[in-house]
Amino acid sequence: MPAITTTHLKIGMEVHVELATSSKMFSRTANIANPQYYDAAPNTLVDPVVAALPGVLPVMNRRAVEMAMMVGMALGCRIARFTKWDRKNYFYPDLPKGYQISQYDLPLCADGELEFPVPEASDGTTRRVGIIRVHLEEDTGKLSHELPGGRPYHGSLVDLNRAGTPLLEIVTHPDLTSAQDALAFARELRNICRFLGVSEGVMQRGHMRFEPNVNVLVTTDDGREHATPIVEIKNLNSFRAIRDAIDHEHHRQVEAWTSDGIVQAPGNKSTRGWDDSNGATVLQRQKEEAHDYRYFPDPDLLPVVVSDTWRQKIAARIPELPIQRRARYRRELDLSASDALALTDDRNLCRFFEESIEAMKAIAEAKIPARRAGGASAKLLLNAGAKRANERGCPIEKLGITPTQIAQIIVLREQERIGSTAADELFGLLCETDADALTVARSNNLIQVRDQGRLESWCTEAISAQPNAVQDYLNGKDAALGRLVGQVMKLSGGQADAKAVRAGLVKKLHRE
Amino acid sequence: MTLDLDEIRHVARLARLRLSDQELELYRTQLSSILDHIAKIGELNVDGVEPMAHPSDLTNRLDDDVVEEALPRDVLLALAPEVEDSFLSVPKVLDGAES
Repeated sequence: MPAITTTHLKIGMEVHVELATSSKMFSRTANIANPQYYDAAPNTLVDPVVAALPGVLPVMNRRAVEMAMMVGMALGCRIARFTKWDRKNYFYPDLPKGYQISQYDLPLCADGELEFPVPEASDGTTRRVGIIRVHLEEDTGKLSHELPGGRPYHGSLVDLNRAGTPLLEIVTHPDLTSAQDALAFARELRNICRFLGVSEGVMQRGHMRFEPNVNVLVTTDDGREHATPIVEIKNLNSFRAIRDAIDHEHHRQVEAWTSDGIVQAPGNKSTRGWDDSNGATVLQRQKEEAHDYRYFPDPDLLPVVVSDTWRQKIAARIPELPIQRRARYRRELDLSASDALALTDDRNLCRFFEESIEAMKAIAEAKIPARRAGGASAKLLLNAGAKRANERGCPIEKLGITPTQIAQIIVLREQERIGSTAADELFGLLCETDADALTVARSNNLIQVRDQGRLESWCTEAISAQPNAVQDYLNGKDAALGRLVGQVMKLSGGQADAKAVRAGLVKKLHRE
Repeated sequence: MTLDLDEIRHVARLARLRLSDQELELYRTQLSSILDHIAKIGELNVDGVEPMAHPSDLTNRLDDDVVEEALPRDVLLALAPEVEDSFLSVPKVLDGAES
């Protein structure tokens, strides 16, 4: 048998996004994907339409349609002028109607692309993945097989709170070529949805579910190519699961092909689930005739026609998206690609960052150029901020420090009134108080002493306390100076201006 | 167009209907004649006729996104043949719901 020379992954994504409207897709009961209703008790967000009581009629949520249009536009899709609703028929206890309302042949949005930052590139390189379609449908209820508290149950338990939540289905071309890229795509899509304000994108709550379609192109040393059968991995709802499941499929499919030689053919696509605890994909039993959905236009719903005026009105609501923001941060603020990426990872952090720069402009005496201000704020947020956010398990912008206080720290630092260690400490202190940075720095003795008299006396004291260091330094060991600087910093309680100390020591030592 | 009994069994299974042999034969005859009728309509020349998504000419019946009252839970649960805790109870189904 010819040996394998290369294997290439080919991945297409199907993504479901729960929209955070206030009410459901086809009725006006509260939507569990909206933060206000996250903790609703089971079966308290159900109405006659969701429960499919006789005689009810669905009425579409305008906001859901508009949110779907926003996502379509952000992904560069063509927005259909005419779109309609279809019934996808199947019996399952998570949908009392016996069908899901979806869009079959006339989706709201089609033919777009998503540009995402290449994770391993430090220069801001991006890749693109084609979007086939974006359509609206409704989410289903939830089934569980355990009672609250983990008690086993002989049957299945149905909670219909989630049924009828507006659900966006996004389908990509199989343009992704690695697990890392699939992950970067997923993160970017989540960012876009969050920036648009259409979804909270909380993965643990199932706001976004990813279903990669994966196969591998195996090339052998006889120059032939063999495509493995396509596997759809169902319902991944964490970034780690996306990466790990695709990596696992890559290896598994190559191994399977090596042992059985089966290649992609009509009808041999299969479905697998991700077993997180074993780190492996598992074949799922196919429900008989699962794909016989007998789609037909829903007679209960009227078509939607999107006029130019409506389309333009929605287009005007689209904010600056993460990728544009990153480019601007790099262009206008000189941020590195990785800093720009870290800041745009979250809409709220991004706003907080921009507010701190605005606050700096408001401190007239500061006169810090935007480039310096941006770099300084990014550094402070992504070091002092990220460190504390990690420790406390809370987002940087919610640590308690305000954008104005951030600006004040930066101003003190720019004026060389505080050192870098003091800036970090001050950051921590300001998370706990509304007082201004200068007051807090003063009362905690963080302001650098540059008074020549005091600096000199500390230097003299350090020199007499560390005769060995002095000798080493005079013998040409420049590193010994660091020990003397350290001594002065200790004597000053960290308040001495390190730069001035260094200069003062050198001057003194050379005089001796 | 004549349907065979396996096709009737397939459709019945999709609709969760358990049919007797007499019923299978009855529906085979009835559904076949319905399909014959549709086939006749299918012979019409409809070149240039726009497909109709809905018999009404109305479009864009959209509601504002304003929350209204939900069904009280006890009312909902009272409608179900079987209830457990605050859930509707059904015979055990496999994991991995379709969506």
